[in-house]
Order: sequence, then C-alpha cells, then structure tokens
Amino acid sequence: MADQTVKPGAGPFLTALRSSDTYKALLVNPWTYVTGAVVLALLNAALLSSTGKAWGVTTSFAYWGAWVWQAVGGDPKSWLYFNEIKPAFQKLTFFTDAGTIIDLGVIIGALLATLLAGQFKVKAVKSNRQIVAAILGGLLMGFGARLAFGCNIGSLFSAIPSMSLHGWIFMPFMFVGAFVGSKMLVKYFM
Amino acid sequence: MAQMNLDCLGEACPVPLIRTQKALTDLAVGDVLVVEIDHSCAMKNIPEWCGKEGHNFEIEEVEDGQWEIVIEKTH
Repeated sequence: MADQTVKPGAGPFLTALRSSDTYKALLVNPWTYVTGAVVLALLNAALLSSTGKAWGVTTSFAYWGAWVWQAVGGDPKSWLYFNEIKPAFQKLTFFTDAGTIIDLGVIIGALLATLLAGQFKVKAVKSNRQIVAAILGGLLMGFGARLAFGCNIGSLFSAIPSMSLHGWIFMPFMFVGAFVGSKMLVKYFM
Repeated sequence: MAQMNLDCLGEACPVPLIRTQKALTDLAVGDVLVVEIDHSCAMKNIPEWCGKEGHNFEIEEVEDGQWEIVIEKTH
C-alpha cells in the first residue's frame, strides 16, 4: 500500500497529524454503519428539539425552485401547494428557512469532510449517458419526493422514529423503486 | 497470468462494483484485475465484496481522491 501520509508541501506538523491513527479513524476512514446511524439519530433528535421539526431535505428544494420562478416573474405564492400543503412558504425567505440552511450545511459539510480526508477531486463527466442518467434520475427523485411529500430522509428516516405510520408505507415502495432503478441502471446506463 | 485494467473513474456507486464483478467473471484464476476508482464508497464496497468472495486485493492511493484496487482472482 502506498504511503498516503506524505503530501507535497505539507509541513512536519500536518504530516504527523495526517498519519496519526486518531485522525485517520475520525476523518479519513469511513465510519461503520452503526456509528453513522447513532450520530445521525442524535443529530436528528437535537434538530427536532431545537427547531420543532425533524430532518427533511427536499421540501426546501421545492422552495428553491419556487424562488427561482418568482425571480423570473412567476407567482408561486398563489399556487395551491404553497397555500394548502406548505403555507409556511408564504413567509419564508432563503435565509429564514431552516431546511435551506440545513441543506447548505449538508453540502458544505460534505465538502469539508472530503477536504479533511484528503480525498477532494474534481471529476470529469465520463459520457453523455452519465449526463442523461443524472438528469433523468434527478427529475424522477424530485418529482417523486413531492408526490410522496418527502424523500428517504423526511418520509423514512424522520418518519419512522416519530412513530408515524407513513414511514412504514413509504419503506416498501422505496425498495420497489430502488429495485426498478437498479435494474434500469444496469440495463441502460452501464 | 493476465492483467486487465478497468477504468471506473468518474463513475458512482454501484457502477464500479457491478463492473468489477462482471470483469472478474471473464478472467481466469490467478489473473489480476486493476480497478481505477475515484469514488470513495467504491473503495469500501469493492474490497468488502472481494473479502466476502475470498479474492485477494490491495488498495493503492494514486493521488488525492483516486485509487487503484488490485484484485487477484482466486477461484
């Protein structure tokens, strides 16, 4: 195995830090599934108790889209969805929506994690098929998340521990979707 | 004893693992497959699968965020 600890330009302190076992265990090597699950559960409990809402991701994506539409002259505030399903949207802005801040935190946190692990890399797009798969997958996931009023975070990870029955209904259909999606991936995009 | 390279750079899970599994079925026992990856979760699931199947493997970090998994087919 190549020596991963020596980086050009790194001083003796950084080199020593990067090669320490604690640093590697915490920031370089992947955590076990159990560690990840426990940390996520504690963070979600903290989020619920501090903001009154369990973790969700995609509702804010719908807001982002609506704000873009508003910026180009649309009137999403008149939509039924933002009056009857998500009336909170009427008063929120990009910086006052807790979900938006959390989503930004996820992106910045992921960047930070990959930088600290020394694994940051700008990746080239390999083929046009990859672009088609990404756009198609994104559209299906986004559309599905709105139809289901949540993604695998809000409607599964946050729903089931909240003793909400909808999480248990969401779960088997999520597996059906993942099964069909994997088959399509292997058949058309590999 | 042949050696084959599998370029999985720029590909996300589970594509590198599935391509590795396919590529190994075409190789003979003792052949070596070098899988190039730049997706860190492939660095977890490919070695995990090799370990389960009993193939020998070694991971090399080529540069930041890019690895080669060298797999020897054992059966």
